[in-house]
This record gives sequence, C-alpha cells and structure tokens, in this order.
Amino acid sequence: MKTRNSLPAVFLAPPLAILAVLAFVPTAYAIYISFRNRELSRPDGSFVGLQNYLDLFSDRRFLNAVGVSLTWEVVTVTLTLVVAIGLGILLFEFASSRMRAVMTLLFLVPVILPRVSAAFVWKFAFHPLYGIVTYPYKAITGQPLDLLSSPATALMTVALVDVWQWGLFFAVIVLKLLETLPPQPFEAARLDHARSFEIYAYIAIPMLKAPLISLAFIKMIESLRAFDLIYVMTRGGPGIATETLDMYAFSQGFIESGRISYASSMAVLMMVATTVIFTVIWKRVKP
Amino acid sequence: MANIVCAKVDKAYGAVNVIRDFNLEIADHEFVVFLGPSGCGKSTLLRMIAGLEDISGGEVSIAGRVVNDLEPRDRGVAMVFQNYALYPHMTIYDNIAFGLKRMKVDKAEIDSRIQAVAGTLGLEPYLSRKPTELSGGQQQRVAIARAMIKTPRVFLFDEPLSNLDAKLRNHMRVEIARLHQALKTTTVYVTHDQLEAMTLADRIVLMKGGAIEQVGTPAEIYERPRTLFVAGFIGTPNMNFVDVTAHADGENWRLDGDGVRFVVSRGRFDLTERQAVTLGVRPSALVAGGGVSDANRLAGVIDLVEFHGDDALVSFRVGGKEVSALVPAVMRPKAGTPVAFSAKEEALHLFDRASGMSLLRA
Repeated sequence: MKTRNSLPAVFLAPPLAILAVLAFVPTAYAIYISFRNRELSRPDGSFVGLQNYLDLFSDRRFLNAVGVSLTWEVVTVTLTLVVAIGLGILLFEFASSRMRAVMTLLFLVPVILPRVSAAFVWKFAFHPLYGIVTYPYKAITGQPLDLLSSPATALMTVALVDVWQWGLFFAVIVLKLLETLPPQPFEAARLDHARSFEIYAYIAIPMLKAPLISLAFIKMIESLRAFDLIYVMTRGGPGIATETLDMYAFSQGFIESGRISYASSMAVLMMVATTVIFTVIWKRVKP
Repeated sequence: MANIVCAKVDKAYGAVNVIRDFNLEIADHEFVVFLGPSGCGKSTLLRMIAGLEDISGGEVSIAGRVVNDLEPRDRGVAMVFQNYALYPHMTIYDNIAFGLKRMKVDKAEIDSRIQAVAGTLGLEPYLSRKPTELSGGQQQRVAIARAMIKTPRVFLFDEPLSNLDAKLRNHMRVEIARLHQALKTTTVYVTHDQLEAMTLADRIVLMKGGAIEQVGTPAEIYERPRTLFVAGFIGTPNMNFVDVTAHADGENWRLDGDGVRFVVSRGRFDLTERQAVTLGVRPSALVAGGGVSDANRLAGVIDLVEFHGDDALVSFRVGGKEVSALVPAVMRPKAGTPVAFSAKEEALHLFDRASGMSLLRA
C-alpha cells in the first residue's frame, strides 16, 4: 500500500522539479534584476530600488506599447470570437455533414502551421510589389499597397493573420459545440415564432455561454504571446506602431541598448498586471 | 381552433419509406392519440404536422390551409416535447414569454397572460426560477404553459409524460384531460402507453410500421380490434391467442386446436372450411369453471399466479400456448392446481392467421 502511494510521487518529482526550476528561477531572477541597473555591455550593476519602474511611467514609448498591447488584445480576441461564432453558425446552418468535415479540415490547417511560418507566408502575401493580397489593388490603381508599412494599417494587418490562424480554428470548436447541443430547444424555438438568427442569438449562443467564455480566455492568453508573429511581420514598426509590451521589452533588453534591468522591470510589471486583470475578469464572468 | 387533414402523406428517408399513404381527418376540438410501438412512425407524423420534418409526399392541411411549405411558426401549432425542451438559460417566466416576445406582443399583455396561464397550471411560485431548479412534472407543466400561452389552433404532444414517474404521470394525464375539457383545442397526442391513449383520446389512431392499423374510439378499438396486432397491442393483461382450424358443423363453426375445441355460430364470423384461424380471448373474459360441455373451455394446470391487488392473473398452458385468466384476488387458486375456464361466444375474437384480419362480421 505504501509503495502504491509513493510511486506516483517518485515519477512526478523529477519533471516537477525541472519545471519548477525553469519557471521560478527566471521569474525570480527577473524580479531581482529589475531592481538593479544591469546592462548587457557592463558586467557590474548596482541596486537602484524602484527607479526602473518609476522611469517606465515617464517613458512615452512604454506608454505607447501599453496602448498597442491593449488594442492588440481587444482586437484579436473580439475578431477571433466574432469570426469563430459567425463561421461556426454558418457551417452548422448550411453545410452538409460531408461539407462540414472538409471545412473542418481546412480550418484546422492555419493553426497547425507554426506561427513563424504563417507570419512569413503572410508577410510575403502582403508584400507591396509581389504579394498576392495586394496584387489586385496594384493592378487596378497602378499604386503599390503597403499595408505593413503604414502606421494606420500595420497593426490591423498583423491582427488579420492572427485571426486567420485562431478564428478558423475556433470556428471548428464552435461548430462542434453547436453539434453537442440538444436539438429540442431549437425546435421549440422554431415553433415559438423565432427566426433563424433569433434562435442563435437567444437560444444557441446563451446555451454555449460557459464554453465561449473559456474560449475567450484561451484566446486572451494566446494573444499575449503574439511576439513571434509581430517580430517576423513588422518588428514593432513602422516606427513604434505595432510595438507591443513584449516587443518593446525585447528591443530594450537585447536589440537597442541592452538595458536588461529596464526590460525586466517591464516584464515583471506585465506579469503582475496580467495576473491581476485575469483574476478580476475570471471572478467577474464566472458566477 | 381548427381541423387537420392528412391526405396521402408519405415520409421517406432516402429509399426507406417510414410512412406510407397516411390518410386521416381530425375534427375541430377533437383529441386524437397516435398510438403504436416505438418506430411505428407516430412521432415522425406529429413532427410533420408541426413542420419540424419535411413532408415527402401528400398534403397536410390545418384549418383548411395546406401547410406543407409553411414554417413551423406560421402553422398555428404549439408542441410539448418528451424531454420538455425548455430553454435552460432562461427563467420560467422568460421561457413562457419567449414566443409572445417573438410575436411582438405588448409587454403588459404578456405579463397578464403569463399570470393567467401560471395560475391555471399552478406555476406562480416558480416564475423566477431556472428550469433545472424544477422537478420533471413542474418542467413539463412549464412546457405546457409555453404551448398554451400562444393560444394555438392545434396542440401537439410528443410523448409528454414518458419522462415522468408513474404517479406523476397519472396526475399529469388528468391535468391534460382537464385542460382539453376547458380549452377544447384540437389536439394530437403521441404515446406508446395504451392507458394514456384509452383515457385521453376521443379517437385512437393505432399505427404499425408507418401505416394505420385501426382508427376508432377507445371502446371500438378495445371491443372490436380490426387486426391481430391491434388485439395484441391493446388491453392489459394481453389477450390470449390460441391457434385453431375451422370446420363446418351444422349451424355452427367448430374450431379445433391443440387441446381445445370452440363452437361459434355461423352468423357471427366469416369463416371457410379448414381455414387457419387465431382465436383471441381477453383474460378478463375467461370465467372460472364454465359449462358442462367440453366446448369453449380452456383447461390446464396453473404454473404462475400474479397478484394484482383486486385481481390475480393465473397462467397455465393449453396445448403448448401460455394462457392467462383474471380472477378475483380472494378466489385465486394456488400454483399447481388444475383449472378450467370458459368464455362466452361474444368474448371471442377470430383472426385469419395469414392476413391477421378480424373475421368478425361487420
């Protein structure tokens, strides 16, 4: 009996220890270093207290990054859910079971693609001279269309790729969720004078409220990790138009000035902010 | 209020015909029950009237209007489902109000109508609750309220009591009967429970394999079953069947079987010489003891006695066939006793063994 109880612990301990080291050591070190003025070019550094944190709030580029990050979150999460629910309902309403199977397969392809590959593919597709997406515009107007180099459109263009990857995938999930719903309430609603869109708006979507909230959370967490996509497509540019917090922290720490302490303070702040915000939202929506 | 006419209605799923040439007229105010074993097409037919299933062939009219191509909402029907089909995320009030809201009924009127309906069905204390907080019987009452409030021309019930326990089922059955008495709305009710059918129906439509076996009042169906299937389906405990062969015998027909001999008059049944016949007699029609002669008697040694309360069902074998008879419980014999029962000629049903049709003269 004793061996039976201890056996799982024996197997679990090593991987958990490794995971703990991998997760907590960098976090702890980042917190430690964020209170110092360490730079990559110098071996030393001294304790500066909250100076890095205070500097952040007078850093206009940091404040811009906060804005970009928030915009990115809101836009990608909202668009992904809208596209997912819209396409899911369209498939559920109009596609035959054979058609659904084919579309499901197609919709899963983008998310299977590594994000860096997807980013390169789309970056080329948006290329002002050779891109397939911009080609019709160029053919009609004779002007090249450079969506990724214009501050007005760059962020939305990158968001489009993100939604392409996740919106289609979530559409498959929404379709499967709709398929699991019992058909009787739908039939009752049809007899209750509800039109098709009313059945979805008042019956289907509310019945799927809990899983849809979970999907929104998954996407919110996923959207926070859009570094690779933005890095490949725009590197935060043009200027700082698509510079999210992680992008800015990365460039402060490694690309531009090697101010590793300053970058760490940003990372720590992000961690605290996301933890607090997610906890609040989670408590709010879960009854 | 409306009548319903089904003319040559067909339903096919691919090459499989589940309903063939179904013809029925349901009068205004009538309570019609579709009765049959599972898979006989009764629910499919109901769903075709509701508009939830396409009609493959023929016409369905409600109140003189062909509804084949009308949306369910435009047919003036309301339906109660077996598993209630309430909207789980809405309160009882919103569940009942949903249809009226979609019809853009004035808010104050919705409120007064809900109070009235909730009063009739005793739902006032539950209006602010969610469906999951209610018992099965209460949920089904909400479903009935949701159907009632639209003041439909036709009520459709799809096995509404099947998910309830026996006691509640009896109670709700009485409530539905009362409701029909008060509202007089034309009603089609689907069930596989013959007790529900017998007690509720003005007319029963007994179905088998997608076709009508017999249409008639409960009494007609019980007393004059048109086919062997109807005779076996209706009545608890089940009718006894004995295989016999007919022989002319003067003014009478003599029916000989394995260990039995029955004599029936020629005027009552259409028989031919040496016709293979299935003789049916209900357990309640068998009288203990019986006449002096050997005819119209079923005798054997009891192998099982089932106590039913007022009555007891005794079973014995006659020529390899199981036969049961209902006797008063106080007079019930013990297993192992030899018994003899006799039946009056009026209680005998004869069916052609090949076609299954009743041989009773019209």
